[in-house]
Amino acid sequence: MERAKRTVLVIDDEAHIRRIVELKMKNAGYEVVTANNGEEGYRIILGDTPDVVVTDINMPKMDGKTLCEKTDGLKAERSFLTVIITARILPDEQAWVSTMRDTVFMEKPFSPARLLDLIDQYFGLSR
Amino acid sequence: MKLSRIGIALLLLFLIGAAIFAGFLVKQEQKYKTGDFVSKGYHLVSLIALMPLQEFTGDQKDYFFRTLTEYTTTEGFHYLLIHDPAGRDLISLIPGGFEALIPTDVRAAALFTSGLIHQKFKVSGSSDIYYEFAKPIFRGGKKAGVVRLGMRFPAISIFSLERLSLLAIMVFFIFGGLIFGYYGVFLALSPLRNLSRDLKEAFADLPIDSPAQKSGKIVPIIENIERTITHMGDKIRRVEMDNVDLISKLGVTTFEKAQIVNIIDSINFGIVITDLQDHLVHVNDYMLKLLNRKRADLIDRSVEEMIADEDLNAFVAQPERGIKAGTRRYIEKTFPEVAPNEIYRVTLAYLVGLDNAPSGKMIFFQNMTAETYAQKTQQEFIAHVAHELQTPLTNIKLYSEMLMQGEVKDIETQKEFYNVINEQTIRLTTLIRNLLNLSKMEMGSLVLNRGLVKTDWFVEDCLMSIEGTAIEKNIAIERNLPDSFPTLLADKELLKTAIINILSNAVKYTPRGGRITFSISEGDGMVLFDIIDNGYGIAEKDLSRIFEKFFRSEEDRIVQQSGSGLGLAITADIVHLHGGEIHVTSTVGKGSHFTIRIPREEYHLGKS
Repeated sequence: MERAKRTVLVIDDEAHIRRIVELKMKNAGYEVVTANNGEEGYRIILGDTPDVVVTDINMPKMDGKTLCEKTDGLKAERSFLTVIITARILPDEQAWVSTMRDTVFMEKPFSPARLLDLIDQYFGLSR
Repeated sequence: MKLSRIGIALLLLFLIGAAIFAGFLVKQEQKYKTGDFVSKGYHLVSLIALMPLQEFTGDQKDYFFRTLTEYTTTEGFHYLLIHDPAGRDLISLIPGGFEALIPTDVRAAALFTSGLIHQKFKVSGSSDIYYEFAKPIFRGGKKAGVVRLGMRFPAISIFSLERLSLLAIMVFFIFGGLIFGYYGVFLALSPLRNLSRDLKEAFADLPIDSPAQKSGKIVPIIENIERTITHMGDKIRRVEMDNVDLISKLGVTTFEKAQIVNIIDSINFGIVITDLQDHLVHVNDYMLKLLNRKRADLIDRSVEEMIADEDLNAFVAQPERGIKAGTRRYIEKTFPEVAPNEIYRVTLAYLVGLDNAPSGKMIFFQNMTAETYAQKTQQEFIAHVAHELQTPLTNIKLYSEMLMQGEVKDIETQKEFYNVINEQTIRLTTLIRNLLNLSKMEMGSLVLNRGLVKTDWFVEDCLMSIEGTAIEKNIAIERNLPDSFPTLLADKELLKTAIINILSNAVKYTPRGGRITFSISEGDGMVLFDIIDNGYGIAEKDLSRIFEKFFRSEEDRIVQQSGSGLGLAITADIVHLHGGEIHVTSTVGKGSHFTIRIPREEYHLGKS
């Protein structure tokens, strides 16, 4: 499977979300790495760039926005998809998202199946 | 028409005057000439009577009579008769037939006179007046005859050359006087010619004739002046009446103004009134207190001198352009120099006068600090509640969807998933109950449903709700309970909520392997619940705020845990509703100690 070669990094301080996304992605065949906060996630991205980053916005140490801005430059060399999971997106945040490379957002409560579809579409895979 | 009649009358008057004057002159001359004439007649007749005419020779007689007639004809010499004592003519020098015209009484009086006499008579068929002078002639002491000298009194004519010359001179002077007089008056009154026009210009409603302006005639001017005086008199009376009216109105207005100023000064926000040049006209008491200035120091100053703030000045200086009179705009500002921690809403209202023309501005300063804070708090509350609701909902959706889509094959994991869903549902329910309780407390509609609470069972109920999590986190729970459990009269469900909130916090903020002690005791008529943990503890700066609604510490270890910031606020409210107290002591890194004291009440059956 092509999914097996792709890595999904899940960054969230909420254990339940990390657990479910991890399980859903693993069940689909992706490789999954998790991080508790933005800073940890940033370190992982710098070390071994994943193919997909699923991140929360409000997190301790480094928030999702900062993480996106810091990693946006990396996408020029090696592109990867960033999915921002957020409670609600304000119009100016929406505008901000559009300035980031390969970045989309999903509002909570979200469906794990929809998230998987989104990632599959990015890779041109379909079930 | 009127003028020509007056002219004719004046002319007639003048002519009559001239005639009377001429008549008077003639009379005077007649009188003077008569005296002179009579005197001459006397002299002449006396002289002739002295002449011895009977003794004159023919030549002497002729010479005498010729000389007499030559020199006296112009003086009126008309005839000379000399009679003898018997009345016979001795010498008769008389125009033919005239003697018969002389009245007989004149002849008789002359013949028989003994002295010098004169008689006046007229002859029929002529208007001439004749005088006859008579004197007896005496010779040797005897009357030798009578001399009668007839003279015609010279006619005095009005139209004689000299009189006409005099009249001409008189007329000349009279007309000259009139002309000079007329033009003198005309020139003297010439300013009056413009008077009507000037009056008309000054008082448009004046009832005067405009044509009078140009004619320059005195009468219409005087008429206009008369009308003007009457009109001005009316006007002055009206003005006086208006004045009385205005004085009374002014009194009312002054009173009303004082009332308005009182109202403005008693209003609980700042009001500043400016004129058209944005100079201060009135500053109310509230504003003076805010600025800590005296009114006298501010009046007539600019807004900038009152508060030096660029935004405020730009806002106040904006023209009314495009803004309908009476409408308002506002800015919200903090003025660091005046009140650094307060937010003021500055509202501008344009003032208009009776004629709808702008007359100034009214600037309102409304303290919005509390409102702004309340608004901010409300927004934060909504955001907070939304987040708190969304977290368990998201978890429920995630876990249930995974189960539904058959992503979890293992039975044990499935069970665990169901447990998570259940836990999250409880979390959601607790949150909603807390919100409802909070809402009820705030509205004052939370009613305690008091009943008998046996603390032994009550304690177990409370502990049961946290035991699952405690076991998961390997936290030991110690019970420090009395032999004899006290009984309380309380709202069991609410009290349970209060105690569970404290216990949940103890579990949440105590690290793995920690310990929680729960004890019940009695003292001073109170039942004491003590919950002691050896968890993270509460920072000193946060201690005074932990019972505030939505307060959450910014400490990392606290932020990492989910929480609504409502639990302790509700707990405190419930305890206070029961007439109790809540107290906390805490040390960071060592743990916290919460004490709840509820008044003990004996429960008697039948007592509600």
